Amino acid sequence: MELKIQKINKSFSGKQILFDVSFTVNSSKAMGFLGRNGAGKTTTIRALMDVFKPDSGTFVLDGTPFDPTKVRVGYLPEERGLYGKEPIGEQLKYFAKLKGATAKQAQKSIQYWLERFELDYAIKHKLETLSKGNQQKVQIAQALIHDPDIIILDEPFSGLDPVNAQVLKDIIAEKIKQSKIVIFSSHQMSYVEEFCDEITLIDQGRIILSDSLDKIKKEMGNHRIRIKASNHDDESLVDTLKMQPFTKECFFDRQSAIIELNQSLDSNRFLQRCMEIGIEVNTFMPYYPSLHDIFVAKVGEYDEAS
Amino acid sequence: MKQVKHVLWFELRSILTKKSVIISTLIVSLVFLIATTIPTFIVMFGSDDPSIVDPIDEPIVQPPITSLNNAGLLFLEDVTIQDQLLEHLDDYVLYQSQQQLRSDVQSRVISEGFIIESDHSISAILLDRNMMSFGGRYLSSMLQSIQINKNLQAMELDPSTIYQAMNVEINYQETILGRDSANTFFLSFILMLAVYILVIMYGSFVSTTVAREKDNRTMEVLITSTKPSTLIIGKVFANGIAGLAQFGFVALVAMIGVLINRANFPELLLDGIAAGFTWDGILIYLIFTVTGYLLYLFIYASLGSLVSKIEDVSSSIAPITFLFMIAYFISAFGMEFPGSSIVRVASFVPFTSILAMPVRYFQMSVAWYELAGSLALMMLVTSFFAFLSIRIYRMGSLNYGNKIGLFKAIKMIMSENKG
Repeated sequence: MELKIQKINKSFSGKQILFDVSFTVNSSKAMGFLGRNGAGKTTTIRALMDVFKPDSGTFVLDGTPFDPTKVRVGYLPEERGLYGKEPIGEQLKYFAKLKGATAKQAQKSIQYWLERFELDYAIKHKLETLSKGNQQKVQIAQALIHDPDIIILDEPFSGLDPVNAQVLKDIIAEKIKQSKIVIFSSHQMSYVEEFCDEITLIDQGRIILSDSLDKIKKEMGNHRIRIKASNHDDESLVDTLKMQPFTKECFFDRQSAIIELNQSLDSNRFLQRCMEIGIEVNTFMPYYPSLHDIFVAKVGEYDEAS
Repeated sequence: MKQVKHVLWFELRSILTKKSVIISTLIVSLVFLIATTIPTFIVMFGSDDPSIVDPIDEPIVQPPITSLNNAGLLFLEDVTIQDQLLEHLDDYVLYQSQQQLRSDVQSRVISEGFIIESDHSISAILLDRNMMSFGGRYLSSMLQSIQINKNLQAMELDPSTIYQAMNVEINYQETILGRDSANTFFLSFILMLAVYILVIMYGSFVSTTVAREKDNRTMEVLITSTKPSTLIIGKVFANGIAGLAQFGFVALVAMIGVLINRANFPELLLDGIAAGFTWDGILIYLIFTVTGYLLYLFIYASLGSLVSKIEDVSSSIAPITFLFMIAYFISAFGMEFPGSSIVRVASFVPFTSILAMPVRYFQMSVAWYELAGSLALMMLVTSFFAFLSIRIYRMGSLNYGNKIGLFKAIKMIMSENKG
């Protein structure tokens, strides 16, 4: 399956929020949809879910217009909310049936998901009697209860402790293996980085980056090398390297010094030059930026440009 | 349709399992059961109060002794029939000064005060006039009767012979081709009141249900799970059925109460209920009630979707509640004057015909084409408002922020359609 978001524009009260938002999501590949607060993530997702109509643009699934009522879509909205005073089992059954499940399928699925989230004891409990984290798990179960083909999760990790976050990560990994389309937005870059094959960055309502994460990392890490020396600390190593003619840029992070070489020097010759100037190299590897670095760099770049 | 059924059952189960609904139904049913048992209690423990005598408009031949219920009497000098009058009175206090009489009325020492100014003139002093202030009429009637007797005697005529001659009974029979409003008044009043409470109660209930879904943010999950029309139709019908079930249960308990205690009920009341209970009347009542009830529920549901917080619901539904109150007052007027122009017009206007047409039908003959016309109009308007409500619900359901008025919402939908 392939879901294409094509040139989506949306305004509220005369103020344009989305500007030609376009990206593609494929099944078997998790898509991380990232952006700062107010960047337009939730507006894009809501337009995709037909919560409101975009002013222009289309959503296309495998070549045909996407209608969320005709495809099995699991949706976890950013603003969580279920019936506080209703028993959990009853409301999950209700949502499963609304999404097309039979009573038998719903019952089986409720049992499975509540057991998976270790909430089977609470099937007859009212939602409001559970902790925030457990309510969040019920909300996620609601999105998965009808075995959807497309899963859209808006900030799914917020409110989850590390153990439950791991449970959710496992579930998402399973769904990706099952060839489902998975889109999720998150502020927690480490979760996105862990299992997202593709990322889309949105800022001020415009897509500023949308590609394979590996490709982005390779591109942004091009000609950069992570280096550590036994006879220098990172700071003095950076100072030493900065004085060399082959250095284009040099800085350090918490792990090591990072050097960007001039095009004229390859890594073997760089290693040789290091030994010549008395640097005892003990760590030497290609540098790949973290998702956090990519995010900060790209959003910063875009903000400066605009 | 299947989706509507899911929404309907979920909502219905949710309403009918609410403790507040169960407890209030049981309490109201118990109140009705007790109320219908009151005549039995009166028969068991009470006795007829001899002091309660119907006011009499006709002259009294031999006036009975009548209690004045602790009223004060002051006779002025011109009165010549004081002794004759007092012979027929009981439970009164005689006064010598007007000032004292007035002061005692003021301080509630006596129930009311009467100044007999002459053989033909009485002044009454009352603190408050209420429906049971009959003392003046008794006294006037007695004075009249004493004067007539006096006049007859002056003319050397025997009063008893005269009254005997006047005592002619005319056999009067009525054939009512249409309705006897005297018989149907009580039943139609009860039914009108029931519909009024039903619409006000469940209208507000459905508004709150919708507003709560916005308040607790369930709306976004719902609206992305199924169509808004499915949601609003399911909710409206669930609330409609719940209301009818609750009122039906209370009515059943009241009927059981009446049946158990019927031997002790005033015959006039039982005859009134029985005479008003015609199948065609009940059918017309049910059809107009159900259609009008749905019309109001659709409007109430859409109004609930225009607010973001539950506390704003009451101000949002105030205009439609006010409109329904007008319908109630017109129909209450129609109980007395079913043929008046305002009631005739109201029985065709869909927002008022829910009450006005059944009231008219119970009180007087209504042509079938008038019924059909009014019903067709109401169904048409109900369908239109159902459609409009779905649009308002869809638009309002995700509009978090300031409350939107009904007319502004309609305007927004119209401009959306134009666009």
